[in-house]
Parts: sequence; C-alpha cells; structure tokens
Amino acid sequence: MIAPPPAPPSSRSPWRRVVDRLATGLIAAGGIGVIVALLAIGAFLALEVLPALLSGSLSREQVVASLTPLAWGTLKAAFWALVFAIPLALGAAIHSAAFMSQRLRSRLKPTLELMEALPGVVIGFVAGLVLAPWVERHLAGALALLLVLPPGALLAGGLWRCLPTPLRRRLPLAWAGLWLVPWLALLGLAALTLAPALEAGWFAGDLRGWLDRELGLDYASRNALIVGLAMGFAVMPSVYALAEDALSGVPASLGEGAQALGASRWQTLWKVVLPTAAPGIFAAVMIGAGRAVGETMIVLMASGNTALMSLSPLEGMRSMAAGIAIELPEAVPGSDPYRLLMLAALLLFLFTFLVNTLAEAVRDRLRRRYRRLGGGA
Amino acid sequence: MSRAVRSGARRARLPRGEGPWAWLAAGSVALSLLLLGGLLTLIAVSGLGHFWPASVSLLELDDGRQLAGRAVRELPLPEGEGRERLYFTGNRDLDGQVWHWLAVERIAASERPPELVVLERRRFGDFIGRLVAVVPADRVQAAAAAAAADEPEAWAALGSRLDALEALRAERETLRRGVILPLVRQLEADPEDRAARRELAQANARARVLAAAMQGEVAILESVDGRRLVQPLDEVLRAWRPNAMSLPEKLGAWSRGLWRFLSEGPRAANTAGGVWPAIFGTVLMVLLMSVVVTPFGVLAAVYLNEVAHQGRLTRWVRIAVRNLAGVPSIVYGVFGLGVFVYGIGGSLDEWFFDEQLPSPTFGTGGLLWASLTLALLTLPVVIVATEEGLARIPVHQREGALALGATRLEMLARVVLPMAVPAMLTGVILAIARAAGEVAPLMLVGVAKLAPQVPVDGEFPFLHLDRKFMHLGYHLYDTAFHGDDVQAAMPVVYATALLLVLVVLVLNLTAIFMRHHLRARHGALPRH
Repeated sequence: MIAPPPAPPSSRSPWRRVVDRLATGLIAAGGIGVIVALLAIGAFLALEVLPALLSGSLSREQVVASLTPLAWGTLKAAFWALVFAIPLALGAAIHSAAFMSQRLRSRLKPTLELMEALPGVVIGFVAGLVLAPWVERHLAGALALLLVLPPGALLAGGLWRCLPTPLRRRLPLAWAGLWLVPWLALLGLAALTLAPALEAGWFAGDLRGWLDRELGLDYASRNALIVGLAMGFAVMPSVYALAEDALSGVPASLGEGAQALGASRWQTLWKVVLPTAAPGIFAAVMIGAGRAVGETMIVLMASGNTALMSLSPLEGMRSMAAGIAIELPEAVPGSDPYRLLMLAALLLFLFTFLVNTLAEAVRDRLRRRYRRLGGGA
Repeated sequence: MSRAVRSGARRARLPRGEGPWAWLAAGSVALSLLLLGGLLTLIAVSGLGHFWPASVSLLELDDGRQLAGRAVRELPLPEGEGRERLYFTGNRDLDGQVWHWLAVERIAASERPPELVVLERRRFGDFIGRLVAVVPADRVQAAAAAAAADEPEAWAALGSRLDALEALRAERETLRRGVILPLVRQLEADPEDRAARRELAQANARARVLAAAMQGEVAILESVDGRRLVQPLDEVLRAWRPNAMSLPEKLGAWSRGLWRFLSEGPRAANTAGGVWPAIFGTVLMVLLMSVVVTPFGVLAAVYLNEVAHQGRLTRWVRIAVRNLAGVPSIVYGVFGLGVFVYGIGGSLDEWFFDEQLPSPTFGTGGLLWASLTLALLTLPVVIVATEEGLARIPVHQREGALALGATRLEMLARVVLPMAVPAMLTGVILAIARAAGEVAPLMLVGVAKLAPQVPVDGEFPFLHLDRKFMHLGYHLYDTAFHGDDVQAAMPVVYATALLLVLVVLVLNLTAIFMRHHLRARHGALPRH
C-alpha cells in the first residue's frame, strides 16, 4: 500500500533488506496461495462435472430428470423463506434506521447478530420436531396467529393515537420495538384461545378437512410453510443487517432537507431515503436469497425430503443442498449419481457466487454514491 | 399519509403520528424479538427441565386400573370435548411401552405417595413403582414370598448398595485402565513376556471377582398395579424418590444430572446419558481448525491489505473472498469430500497405508479432513475481519514507522499487526462460532453417529487424525431424526440443542464485545 521511501544506505544493513524482501515475498506467496485455494473450489467442481457433461456420459435427459425436482424444491423453499424474511427484515431495518432510539438500536443490532449465529441444526430441529407437529395439531391457531399479528401492530398504532399525552410520552414510537413485544404476545395468546371457536364456526371444526375438500390441498406435516418460516427466521438477520446499513448510510443531509420542507419522517423515508438506498436493499435481498438457497440443515430437517414438484405451500419438497447431504456419502466416486450431485453442488456454488457478486458490486457502487452525495452536501 | 401532512402543523408540538406503515415496521421488530425470545426460552426451559426430578403421580382410572408416571404435556382431544394428558410411565420391560395418553376425565384420583421410586437402569429405561426389598441374588424366592415389605429399610439398603456398587465400578474402571490395558499393550509388543502374562491373569481374576460382587444383589420391585419384578442391582444406575424430596434435594439432584449430562457418554442408542464425547469431538475439531485457519487467514489478509497492489484485480479478489463466505457450507463439504477425502486421502492410503487397503485409513472421513474443510469454510470470515481491522489502522501509524527507518516487515510486525490483534481474534472467534454450529459439511467429511474411541488417547501417536468423531450438532440431528423413539429422545435433544446454542452464543458475544472494544479504541476511521 505504502512503498517504503528510499532510505539512505547507511540506515539499513543489507541483511535487514534481504529479510524484508524475503518476508514480503513469503507473505505474497502465502496470501496468493490461500486465495487460490479458496477459489479452487469452483474450479474443482467444474473439473469434476464438465468432462462428463461434454463427453456425453451424462445425458441431457438424465440431468434434467434428476435435477429438476431438486431445483424446484430449492427455489420453493427459498421463495417461502423470503416471503417471511423480507417483510420482517425490511420492516425492522426501516424502523431501526428511521424511528428507533439510538440506544435501543445499538442493542438491537448485536441481538439480531446473535439470531443470525443460531446454528441451522437447532432451528431445523425446532421447526421439524416442535413447530411442525404443533402446527399440524393447531392449524387454525397458527393461521389465526399469522392473520392477527400484522393488524395487531396497526391496532397498537391506532390505540396509541387515542392515548392521553403523558402515557404517549411514556410509550414513544422510538421504543415501540420493545414495548410492542408483550402486546403482540398477548394478542397471539388471545388468537390461540379463540382459534378453536372460530374453526368450529367457519370450517366446521376441521380446517384440514376443509382445505382438503374445498381447495383440494393436501396437508403434509413438514411442508414449505414450515420450512419458509424457519428459514425466514434464519435469513432475516442478515437481510436486516445489510438493509439497515444501506438505509442508515444515506447521507443525513438528504433526510434533513426533506423534513425541513415539511415531510413527516415516514414521507422522508418513503420518498427520499428508500429510493436512494434501493440498490442496497436489493443487494440485501439478493444475499438473503443466496443464503436461503444454500441452507442445508433446516430444509433437511423440516421439509420431509420428498422430491415433489407441487405448487402447494402445504406440501414438502427436497432441495439440492439436502439432496447432496443425504445422497453423496453413499454415492460411489466417479459414478453417474456422484457426478449429478457434483453438478448440483456446482449449480449451488455458481448461483450463490453470482448472486453475491452482483449484490457486492451493487453495494460498492452505492457506497461510492453515498460518498459523493455526502461530500457534495 | 396525506392526512398526517395536513394535520402535521397542528400537531407539531405533540409526538407526531407517522401513519400505519411505521407501526407495521415497529411491529416487525417486535415480532422478530418475540420469535427469538420464544425460541431461546423454549430451548432453555425444555433443555434444563430434563434434569429436574419431577414428581410422580399415582393415578387411579375410572375402570379401577392404577398407573404411575409423570405428566409430560396436555393437549385438547383431537375430536370431541375434553383434554388428554401424556404420561411417562417407564417400565418398558413390564408394559412394552413407556408412554400413556390418558383422557383427563378418565382419571378418578391422583395422588403423590412419597414411597414411589424411580430407578434409572441400563436396560429398559426408567422404572417407576415401589421398592419391596433388596436381597442377595440367591434368596430371591424366599424374599419374594414374604409379602409385606419394610419400605424405609429397603430404601436405605438400596441407597447403601448403590453407593457400594458405584465404588466397585470405579475400582473396575481404574483396574481396566491402569493395569489391564497397559499389560495387554505390553503383551502385544512382546508376547513372550511371562511376568506380564502372570500379572494380567491376576488382574483379570480380580476383575472377575469384582464383577461377581456386582451381580450379587437384586432388588425386588413392584409396579403400582401389583406386578413384581426382580431387578439385578448391577443394572441400576441411580434411584430416587421424587415425591419425598425437598426443594434443595431436588436442586442438588438437578445439578448432578446436569453434570452427568456434560461428563458421561451416551447410552441406549444416544437417547439417554450424556454428550461428553460429542463435546470433546466438537472442541477438538474446532481447535484443530483454528490452528489452521488463523495463520493462513491472517497471511491472506495482510497480503491483500498491505502488500498487494491496490488495483482493480485486488478489488475483485476482495469481493470474491467476501462472497465465498456466502457460498453454502454444503458446497465446502462436497469439496472436502472430493479433494481431501477421495483425492488426498486416497493417495495417502496408496502411498503409506497400502497394507490396510481396501479398508481406508485416510481415504474416508475423519478428524483431519473435517478440520481442514471447516478451516476452508471459515477462511473468508477470518480474512474479512482481519482486513477490516487492518484498514482501520490509521495510515499515519504506518508512515511514522517507515519514516523512522523501519523496513516493511518491521513496520508490519511491530506496529500494524499488534494493533490488529483484536480484529484477528474477533475473526477467529467468529470462525469458531460458525464452525461449532456447522453440521452439513461434516456429514460428508467425517462425523460419526457414535464413535466409541475418542480421537485422543494414550496410544501412539496420541492424536488420531484419521478417526471419526462425534459432534454436538450432528448428535442433535441424528438423535432427533434417526432414533426409534423420538419422544423418549426429546429431552436429550433439547439439552444438546441448549448446549450448542450456549456455546455459539457465548463465542459470538465475546466477538461482539471485542469488536466493540476495538471500535472504541480506534474510532470509526474511514477506509484508506
């Protein structure tokens, strides 16, 4: 980075110069070696797969027939994970960038970082062995929870406006992320208690039967919604962290200008901050998608692992990562199934690498744009 | 929204309403915290509750049947009114099953008599019922005929006998480890050694005496519905009377149970007992991994940040390294299997261990390959964290060192690297946390369901890099999904999950605090 200035010969013994050259060379060689070893992963996978593909020993039909269900399962799981993760993550990022008190924010970020660090195997276990049987038994309750919680937050906002001012100062929006927790828990409990009665009234007491009769939906205990919820939980923190970085990186002068012209904080956010940060948020979602596609243990434990190709969110699937984890230890090296799994790994690698590179490039440009905007103000 | 603007002027003094979307955004923060808190609470409560000596109820059903067990959970009946409760009743050898679902309304009476005992046994799991007598094995017939039992006396006898058995077991274990195994190894090396042979015969005789002493006694047990059972005491690990225990006693039993979970090996196809081998395997694997990943990660980061020409190529390499952190772990597992296990391991076997082929030595998954794979997986984490730390160090520090006549190496070694140590440690801790929780790649490169031998022992070369090992995360997955009775394994699974989560969270918290400390020391300096 900084070249050592030419020093007067007397200040350096030749020995020191030799050692310095040698060490620099070693560091360079070692560093390049490590980086090459890392990048060799892609090269290895390509070398394992491409000859077989080019020489035709893996026929096109074979590849399509065995990988399509896996690819479908992967995309389905990732889609439902993002359906759960994106609203949660973006909502949390918006709230913490625009409204949240600085103190709470500095505590929330590490907390969500901890959430990101929870091992996939633990989340998968809870999803597959605790959540899935519970939802199967309390389908109506789970549905009621999903339907009650978002309006519950709105209701809190509505009630808040009716509160007397002193109480309103006690419960500021800046801390809403914290004091809404007991409120939502309470609403959730209420929804769970009321759910059986509602189920009896609307669905003749049997929501699963009703789904089967009226919509023709088969309910599998370990299904895409469970996987989506669990994986959404796992992916949400990383999307949040990146989106929050993008939002809070927007130069403050832009937001201040909008507010000086009379915009509310939400309007500032919606009309000024979000459009500026949009590429960063896009990058955050892309990285979330990359994680969701590659996550293995959660899908393995919560999806049932049957290679179905159905659109229904209430049925299971098998993803590429889970397929590799199950089948590769048994596959004979060099055989066709082995090469197919290698191809699946190559596809996963390429997909996540491209998606991440795209996201990283977008973030890089965004960072430079912020610097320009911030510097010009 | 437009309403908010119009009324904005009027409300300027009040805390201003922000419209519905702001509340939805706040709600999503609250919901995330709720989910996280719920998950952690569930794991903590279920994981720690497993060790609590819960009270045992004696139930009388409406048809007169009697049953003893501890309530596990309660659910509404699938059809119709009312609720049903799941009882753990033990006694697999008498009933053939250990679980009973009972409709709550069928329970006519429920009490908690203090004399009910719970025995933890090596086979058939727990026994729940009454203790009749403890007698020598040859007097079973006579004692069984005697109907009325003196319960407190039998309980006291059971306690002292179990303590004696524990002492015998410990003696046998020290004999096996300290005398027999070394002698066997000595004889393997030199089969002609007569003195050793004689000593071994003596030790074996002593072991047989001990074994006979252990099998000398039996307990006569009675289930609450009156069926008798003769239980060799040798197979009883522990006995307690939960209904007669006071709170401090229960707390004591709880902490002892926790300790046993951490310090013992698994039993009964991993559904009972402890996780010590899995803890050991995880720690050892992670240690080996950090030994590999730290120097190489730091080397690559120093090269990228301090030595390489900062051009377009370096920027692209930096982005690529960052992206490798996002490549799915299973892909690293595939790489490890293909390159380390089949490639390098296969060649090593051909060159050095060809007398053992076709059974592979290094050509199969093992500790070494698992550590290397995870080292590769965590390299980007260490590189990125170290680079961040290096970039935070102000340029004038480097310039000052160079201006005083230091060479680049001296500048790096005496000024830059010491300042970047917290960043490196942060990276390594994050890498360890990631590796400790990672399971998918390990399934391909060397984790085992049950490894009878830990990879470290007294045999040369002491650290066996080619052995398979147990891992907490895989233990959790395997016990939860491949067991016969998932319901019975659930407590162990929860406890393992709690342990894993604790390890990972503590490591991450350490990293977060170190990073915080680092930022506070150097301030938020812009890059370059």
